[in-house]
Amino acid sequence: MLPAVSPRPHPSLWALLLGIFFPTAGWVTQSLGEDQVSFNREIRPILAGNCYDCHGPDEESRKADLRLDIREEAEAVLGAEGELWQRIVTEDPDDLMPPADSHRELSSEQIGLLKKWLQRDAPYEEHWAFRPPLQSELPEPETADWIRNPIDTFILARLELEGLTPSEEADRYTLIRRLFLDLTGLPPTPEEADAFVADVSPDAYEKVVDRLLDSPRYGERWARPWLDLARYADTNGYEKDRPRTIWPYRDWVVGAINKDMPYDQFTVEQLAGDMLPGATRDQQVATGFHRNTMINEEGGIDPLEYRYYSMVDRVATTGTVWMGLSIGCAQCHTHKYDPITHTDYFRFMALLNNADEVDLDVPTKEILQQKKAIETQVASLEEEAMGEMDRQAFEKWAAALRAKAVPWKQIRPSKAEAGMPRLHILKDGSVFAAGDFTKREEYRITLPIEATKERPVTALRLDVLPDARLPAHGPGIGFYEGRRGDFFLSELSAKTADGIRLALTDPSASYGKISIGSGKADPGNVIDGEGSTGWSTAQREGEAHHLVLNFETPIAESVEIEIEMLFERHFAAALGRFSFSVSHAEKTAQALPSGTPDPHGEEKDALQRWFIRTDPAFAETRKKIDALEDRIPATPATLVMRERPPSDPRATHRHHRGEYLNAEESVKPAVPEVFPPLPEGAPANRLTFARWLVSESNPLAARVPVNRAWQAFFGRGLLKSSDDFGTQSPLPSHPELLDWLAVEFVKKGWSRKELHRLIVSSATYRQSSTISSELLVADPENVLLARGPRFRLDGEIVRDQALAASGLLSEKMGGPGVYPPQPESVAKMAYGNQTWPISKGEDRHRRSLYTFAKRTAPFAAFTVFDGPTGESCVARRDRSNTPLQALTLLNDSMYLEMAEALAGREAKRERSSEEIATALFRRVLVRPPSAEETSQLISYFETQKPRFDSGELRAAEFLPTAKPAEPELAAWTLVARALLNLDETITKE
Amino acid sequence: MNPFPDSLSSCLLRERTRRHFFQNCGVGVGKIALASLLAKEGFARAASLAPPSVSASPMAPRATHFNATAKRVIYLFMAGAPSQLEMFDYKPKLAELAGKPIPPSVIQGQRYAFIQPDAAVLGPCFSFARQGQSGAEISEVLPHLAKVVDDIAIVRSMTTDKFNHSPAQLFLNTGNGVPGRPSMGSWLSYGLGSEADDLPSFVVLKSGGNLSGGAAMWGSGFLPSTHQGVPFRESGDAILHASNPSGLDTRSQRDAIDLIRSLNQERASVAGDPEITTRINAYEMAFRMQSRAPELMDFGSESQATLDLYGAKPEDGKASFANNVLLARRLAERGSRFIQVYHSGWDHHSQVENGVRRQCQTTDQACAALITDLKQRGMLDDTLVIWGGEFGRTPMVEASAALGRSLGRDHHPQAFTMWMAGGGVKPGIQYGQTDELGFNVIENPVHVHDLQATILHCLGLDHKRLTFRQNGLDFRLTGVEEHAPVRDLLTG
Repeated sequence: MLPAVSPRPHPSLWALLLGIFFPTAGWVTQSLGEDQVSFNREIRPILAGNCYDCHGPDEESRKADLRLDIREEAEAVLGAEGELWQRIVTEDPDDLMPPADSHRELSSEQIGLLKKWLQRDAPYEEHWAFRPPLQSELPEPETADWIRNPIDTFILARLELEGLTPSEEADRYTLIRRLFLDLTGLPPTPEEADAFVADVSPDAYEKVVDRLLDSPRYGERWARPWLDLARYADTNGYEKDRPRTIWPYRDWVVGAINKDMPYDQFTVEQLAGDMLPGATRDQQVATGFHRNTMINEEGGIDPLEYRYYSMVDRVATTGTVWMGLSIGCAQCHTHKYDPITHTDYFRFMALLNNADEVDLDVPTKEILQQKKAIETQVASLEEEAMGEMDRQAFEKWAAALRAKAVPWKQIRPSKAEAGMPRLHILKDGSVFAAGDFTKREEYRITLPIEATKERPVTALRLDVLPDARLPAHGPGIGFYEGRRGDFFLSELSAKTADGIRLALTDPSASYGKISIGSGKADPGNVIDGEGSTGWSTAQREGEAHHLVLNFETPIAESVEIEIEMLFERHFAAALGRFSFSVSHAEKTAQALPSGTPDPHGEEKDALQRWFIRTDPAFAETRKKIDALEDRIPATPATLVMRERPPSDPRATHRHHRGEYLNAEESVKPAVPEVFPPLPEGAPANRLTFARWLVSESNPLAARVPVNRAWQAFFGRGLLKSSDDFGTQSPLPSHPELLDWLAVEFVKKGWSRKELHRLIVSSATYRQSSTISSELLVADPENVLLARGPRFRLDGEIVRDQALAASGLLSEKMGGPGVYPPQPESVAKMAYGNQTWPISKGEDRHRRSLYTFAKRTAPFAAFTVFDGPTGESCVARRDRSNTPLQALTLLNDSMYLEMAEALAGREAKRERSSEEIATALFRRVLVRPPSAEETSQLISYFETQKPRFDSGELRAAEFLPTAKPAEPELAAWTLVARALLNLDETITKE
Repeated sequence: MNPFPDSLSSCLLRERTRRHFFQNCGVGVGKIALASLLAKEGFARAASLAPPSVSASPMAPRATHFNATAKRVIYLFMAGAPSQLEMFDYKPKLAELAGKPIPPSVIQGQRYAFIQPDAAVLGPCFSFARQGQSGAEISEVLPHLAKVVDDIAIVRSMTTDKFNHSPAQLFLNTGNGVPGRPSMGSWLSYGLGSEADDLPSFVVLKSGGNLSGGAAMWGSGFLPSTHQGVPFRESGDAILHASNPSGLDTRSQRDAIDLIRSLNQERASVAGDPEITTRINAYEMAFRMQSRAPELMDFGSESQATLDLYGAKPEDGKASFANNVLLARRLAERGSRFIQVYHSGWDHHSQVENGVRRQCQTTDQACAALITDLKQRGMLDDTLVIWGGEFGRTPMVEASAALGRSLGRDHHPQAFTMWMAGGGVKPGIQYGQTDELGFNVIENPVHVHDLQATILHCLGLDHKRLTFRQNGLDFRLTGVEEHAPVRDLLTG
């Protein structure tokens, strides 16, 4: 039970200094005398934990038509001697509540509280987290001189109430290491630490804070917990778990945090950046947040089923990240505890469910420059060759090509329809398919044909076209199992408007190849009546190809014909962009190799270029051109959201019991009814919702991120369950402080850096973490913060710190994931025998944030320290302490490499053992060692070195890189290894 | 909420910190081993659920909800889904109908992975005969299992919700088709703690290729990560980083740990954080694991007769299925609680006849040997052995020109066969029935969640009470729908 802070009669000094006076917050009015009982603090947790299962918001499981979560509904059973009371204390096991088979039992303390509450007319209160936070007056504790900022007033007031005193400030070395690790995830160098210790100016600490907040390392450090929430990974998850490109999103997060993008904007861009007016490329990249869902690439799945699971994940993640609520619990039925109904859940889903999932090219400046440079070189090579070209040979070649190629005329469809996807007829007369795709899709394209007896239409040509919105630029929509951008045309048929079938014959294709399986991409497969054979252009994605068919009987009058295309495979494989042309030629039309310019239509220039690229006389030039073009860097494409056009909304349905197959009535997008609605007049869409999430309408908007920040600095949030602010959550340890910070956060423009500055500037943060035996008994979990934080670093920081200490750390930022060394057997555990191609050069030693994140085989040295897999949103990591961690730090060759580099850096011949031991110690732990510590290191060195000297221990085998492998270095490497293993090293202090 | 309010020893309940736990509980560090050494730092995820002492020592052995009939589980997971129609569920009607399309009334809109629903029927590829006292019908490709058929319970009426490998494997292991929930082994570790004192309690072995469900099958989901399974590696160290760095020896490793301990102790005296003591002990435990692991992996102490029984070839460094099954028994003897032996290669979309025959040649002998061996050693009574895949295979044939497939069977979630033995399971029984086409279960269906409830039951846990509060909801292995242990399968 948490005694509350007493209200003070006057506005505090701080409020006066700030010139602001805030109305008294709800918390304070709840302050209670000895004999009082609070619904929010005491009664609701009892009712929610023991009664709501059968007497809560969920209609389906409600018994006896009684709900206890709303006073009006419970009225009849309340009262000092009412039914509720009788059922709690009855001796009759048939009447007893909670019933025996629920395995729940009220404690005598709980019964006592209920009694008091019932005797006092059983008042209800709104759940604290559903009320907007208010900034209360600052408490005025006795020991005012300890206070550095408002945070401390709340902490100290509470400590005084408990009869505890805060700890003294941590020593300067501890403080600077803590601050560096917290703000940048890297340790200070001994020189930086010494400079701080020596700086006697009153703002010495603040100057360091400013510097660290400005460091690009800050964004890298703070991106990590956000990426835990975003379930970021570089692979698709599930069985195949193949790589994806979404690191531009990761880099966006680092950049946004570094430039201190306000949290409200940070939110809106990630949830709905694509919908902002004039959305920039960056704003679109930000929508990768919800593209971090997994993709099941297993053959034979129902892709819409897994899209549904992605939506389920998006709802749960949005609820956790921005509302601190387990919205996800209402997937199967109305929430048992929180006032969120089953329908609320799907309305919430509908808000997020109207986007298509597309690719976005993100060329860097360097890529664009390189590309342009190469293109210029190619053009000049071509021009040079054209100058030397034998005109006659060219003309002869062109004539032959003209004779072979028939002229084509593109037809703009008058209608284009499909089952699930929407076919858009574009300005250029081609068709673009968007939306959702199943394993079996049928396209029906109506083509108005102009023909006469004299000039009949004799052939049909299907062009499959690249498009930047498609995976790998298309032409197919293939996004899993097969190759990205793949398609599989099983059948193509034509009929007249009257349904008379037009037989097709003499098929040919510019190129053909199918992915997966041993089948052939024979163009004739599309007219063989067999769905399991077909035509595809795998391995040349992002290019145009074509298929040509001849009409057995030419069409001799102007009619509309309907082309039917069937795409049927064990994965979704429809076309993404295509067009149709017809020919009037008398001869049988045939496809030319992909890329051949139209000799009847295109400019001479294009023909000449093609000639140079194909004619044997220019083999040398061609070789040069090919070599150049091979060097054109690939433009990365990242995964983004794109809102659907108003003409093509996606319906969202309620699913009975939350099951994919049980879609029921469709629902309209809305926020859960317990909250204020979306603003009137605004469209109920993703953008409005994103803005709502960071508006005053969402009482949790600022509480949740502020609590997460607190958790990152102190090891636990002010509300311990940082992922759940619902009615079942425990109460915050310092509710007034939580609300004060939440309001302050908004007042300071949602600035993450200002929030962090405020926290690290507090006396609370600057305390020593030393635990006295009294404090260990009084507050083992450090809830009250009578001491500073002391907890184990995240696995990534453990590694980054060792890299920094060893001098190996690369400061290169951004780009594709890298592969630090780890045993091959780790990646081998995953499906598909994927390898772990250990990075070379500086990529071997990049910050851990940039380590390739493979969901089914995450980097072992992070997993063992409770790193996430990226499979679901993580608001709070576990912090285990296991022998497997010890084995990693002792024996993993990655850490041995760092130990060797560290030793190599400091173990200089001219130095004494004491100097070397001290230097090693300080690289790792920053503070100067005690004499005892130094002597232990030296005596360890002295026992090990002779063993290397004598060959008992083998330096050449032990040292991964050093040549020659000297016993001295080997023994110092052992010392460095021991230092990297110390509890103090992998802990904040 | 708290699954074990009353079951902890009073000693544990009294104590508020691990320091007290170490000092006052009268248990030597060596004995409590994992219990204390794997202790978790900081704060339990579900604070309201567990008293501090529980969060402090998540691996401490815990009392069961009721008497357990099994102390441990060896789960032979046949990944890829073996064809029940070729091994256990004999359907002569299929031979009769072979080549004809299956009646649409049977299919009722079932979705398939690869085939069209109107595919033709494929007859059983092998002959079947009744075996043992129990007279269970078993295929000719299982000659070894036929000899122990009176020790096992065959369940021909398994059903699942998922028809693709990864989701179905996850469903069997975690009760959910999407990665991220705690696995069965981690639930058991959370519920029962550990009895192994220098080896992991939840071990994963695999052979025959990689697994669709991946690491999520032994993940701990939202349970404390200490409970996740430890996969033994097929190359290099079985337990990752359990070997000394090259060039070092045990003595130098000991020296290093002594130095680390001494410096950590020094720090503990200044910082006063009991977590440092936990870390010190984690290093001691790591050191013991390093010496215990080679002993575990060394089959030198096994008699030739035992090796022959399994068909194990320890000299054949690659982890074969037989080696793994024998290793599973050795782990069981050394206190591991949940040992999963995965064997991949059962996904016979094409040429199901050859495929099943080959896989049976690889696995049949060792599976039967495990039963025989455990029985001989008196361990079958309290070891629950489970055999099975993630779903069944279709009575219809699979063929595809694009994929180059013929005479195969597609995934079939409606009906499949598993068997169980020991640990409180009735020996020599057959349970459940499918229709004459082997398409649907017509008697005593056992849903995956029922199977999970049954396994927990054998280990003394009530699947409804083994819960964990996450995001405001009490999660359990067996989902939100009503499921129950299959009492008819159990002796107790």
